[in-house]
Amino acid sequence: MAKQTSYFPELKRNWWLKHPYFVKYMAREATVLPLVFFLVCLLVGLFSLLQGAESWQGWLTFMQNPLVIALNALAFIASLFHAWTFFQLFPRVMPLRVGGRLLPANLMVLGQWLGVVVVMVLAAWIFMRSL
Amino acid sequence: MNKTQSGSLKKSDEPIWWGLFSAGGVCFAVFVPAAILFIALLIPAGIVSPEALSFERARSMVFSLPGLMFIGAVICLPLFHAAHRIRHGLHDLKLGSKRLNKLVTYGSAALLSALALIGFAVGVLSP
Repeated sequence: MAKQTSYFPELKRNWWLKHPYFVKYMAREATVLPLVFFLVCLLVGLFSLLQGAESWQGWLTFMQNPLVIALNALAFIASLFHAWTFFQLFPRVMPLRVGGRLLPANLMVLGQWLGVVVVMVLAAWIFMRSL
Repeated sequence: MNKTQSGSLKKSDEPIWWGLFSAGGVCFAVFVPAAILFIALLIPAGIVSPEALSFERARSMVFSLPGLMFIGAVICLPLFHAAHRIRHGLHDLKLGSKRLNKLVTYGSAALLSALALIGFAVGVLSP
């Protein structure tokens, strides 16, 4: 009997290295890795805040560690890369009509970036008021 | 697929994970960049005065209603977004098994979110 063959060749683990598009896809998937690092930093900060002023000061010092700053800088870049890919989805998933006319996708993407800027200004006000 | 004995389709839990992933994705794109910029870059680097996160100030900011909104939008929802991407990333790299990956990723996100909310509750209730 002939050897049984499948129409579906088995996918190798490094399949995504074979095309720049797939590499970009995996890079986007990987944006959450430095994000998780930042989130764990925040959780540790929350619990050091509960343990008193000394512990909180220890956390602030930990956040000044060059390696921690470097990883969080990576998380910052990753969050912007994620935003760039995510904002392009919105006009495709939920096209909006204004007065019977389709809102241009570029305008919707721009609107979302505007949202990011507004949040940053708001954060600047929250952190820097009465300093 | 997923047929029960009665022949009806089994209810999928995917919409829940997908919904948390989307909501977390919006938060990751809109709120997280500003949070990283100030809490993890500008203040630790001394560009913004560390007084911005003094003990008293941090306590009054975190253990308040805006603090709860911050925990939801910057910690809990992005955790589920990350869990979803890690789950599918593991599948793409052919690591682990379907059931185990789902349990570990969403389980970790749920556990860490619960910890954040417990920490918040303790902080609000303690004088």
